[in-house]
Amino acid sequence: MDLLVDSLKSAFLLLFSFDPELFEIVGVSLNVSFFSTLLAALIGLPAGFFIAFNTFRGKRFVMTCLNTLLALPTVVIGLVVYSLISRRGIFGPLELLYTQKAIIIGQTILIVPVITTLTIAAISRIDQRYRNTALTLGATYYQMGWVIFLEARFGIMAALIAAFGRVIAEVGISMMLGGNAKGFTRTMTTAMALEYDKGEFVLAVALGIVLMTFAFLINLVFHFLQGRLKSDAL
Amino acid sequence: MLYELNKVTRTFGDRIVLEIDSLSFEARKIYALIGPNGAGKTTLLNQLAFLDQPSSGQLQFKSSAVVYDHSSLTRLRRNVVLVDQSPILFSGSVWRNIEFGLKVRKIPKKERTRRIVKALERVTMADFAHRDVYGLSGGEVKRVALARALALEPEVLLCDEPTANVDREHQEIILKILSHANSVRHTTIIFSTHYLSQSRQLAHHTMLLQNGRLSKNLEENIFQLRVVRRSEELKCRFADHLISFSDPDGLARENGLVRVHINPEQIHLRALDEGEIPEAWIAGTIVSLAKENGKIRIVVDIGQKLQLLMSEKQFFNRPYQVLQGVAVGIEAQGVMLLS
Repeated sequence: MDLLVDSLKSAFLLLFSFDPELFEIVGVSLNVSFFSTLLAALIGLPAGFFIAFNTFRGKRFVMTCLNTLLALPTVVIGLVVYSLISRRGIFGPLELLYTQKAIIIGQTILIVPVITTLTIAAISRIDQRYRNTALTLGATYYQMGWVIFLEARFGIMAALIAAFGRVIAEVGISMMLGGNAKGFTRTMTTAMALEYDKGEFVLAVALGIVLMTFAFLINLVFHFLQGRLKSDAL
Repeated sequence: MLYELNKVTRTFGDRIVLEIDSLSFEARKIYALIGPNGAGKTTLLNQLAFLDQPSSGQLQFKSSAVVYDHSSLTRLRRNVVLVDQSPILFSGSVWRNIEFGLKVRKIPKKERTRRIVKALERVTMADFAHRDVYGLSGGEVKRVALARALALEPEVLLCDEPTANVDREHQEIILKILSHANSVRHTTIIFSTHYLSQSRQLAHHTMLLQNGRLSKNLEENIFQLRVVRRSEELKCRFADHLISFSDPDGLARENGLVRVHINPEQIHLRALDEGEIPEAWIAGTIVSLAKENGKIRIVVDIGQKLQLLMSEKQFFNRPYQVLQGVAVGIEAQGVMLLS
């Protein structure tokens, strides 16, 4: 109990002391999570749309593969990307290892299947009549797709929130590809892991509380956006 | 001709749901498609709305064969609007729903506003313009969908059962709106219905669809029956027997009279000496046999003259004779409530 109370106190002190080091760590976390979610959305949303809209040979197999990739451990992604971007890897000359870009690449790979499968689920739930209604009202194929996107927007937003939540909380990729370099690639989760290794449990838990607070605030923003989207449909 | 269908079929798996040998629709006319559930009315309307492609055969619009690619279809669809049996509205306001089709046609804002206001007035929903579609009743949704179609001022308006699940008062309003669109804007209207009375009230031409095919049997096997019981199914007295069939829209009243059409192809026949006859079957005598377009037409006297159609193969497997004693079994799905 003391641990929790001390941790809460430390968390408040950390937050309200405006410690620049803390905000640097939070900044790195938000930066890599934002860009990896953005990149994954650019890949996963069109892929999800394509798979949900079309019938093709092997669709079931693709879906099975995507579902399997949802369970991909972060350390496996870390190892694969490491082998590609380390000095001996084919992308070695780009010197990406132990940079924020490396973390973004790894995290993007982690959440592309999340966004794709949840987009497929969101689109598939939309009544077939929306497509036919848009088409009979004279919409082009792309305008019809936009209608479906708008009708599925809550499901798609949920996919993005889930993906963002997955990357902001992951530690394996950030540690293996970022290297936990202070001021450069130290994220909230890798900082927590470091504090735990040092035996600074209170600080580690306090960082966890800070992480949860930020996750909560970001979700609040998403929910606010959802409300706006609801009234701005079409 | 506006539409010409030539040997058009639509199949889903092994099942043929539409098989039209030849059919044409003239511009500026009102057509009614009547038929029981599963007759192929919606499938035909989807073909005419260019939302579905025939499995075989050719559909022509304004004397040009329909080309099924995205850009040609979008061009064609902008002449035609289909109002679904259970229409769906996009989330947002009533105004934005009606505006959608006008926006995709890039109609200027001033003209959009004029058309939306006019369309809402036509369906007596002017006060609903800025209401969210969430919470509208079924009848209101149907009228908004109709306003959304009317605002586009289409050349052809296709309506799938426009009065289904709508109360009597609004049924009349909807029928008047369709009639007005045809008489004032010369819009060609093709609508499906279960009721011969509606088609007689509104349509210049009535077509009967049965089992996916156009039927010439509309004027035969029409009987007036007394309702004995209304439960999940309607039970009516027919030749001293009770026959059951569905009344999805609750048209019939207890002890009231109803007019029904019995599909000649959905009546079973069995000789009286051919084993045990089910209780619900009606005994009678064959009074005429005739060959007709590869089928055999059999008239059975059961107190009233009942016409049956069976395939030649079926007939020659078990030939019947004139004056032979037989029993007939009427499929519930073969009975269509007309009024």
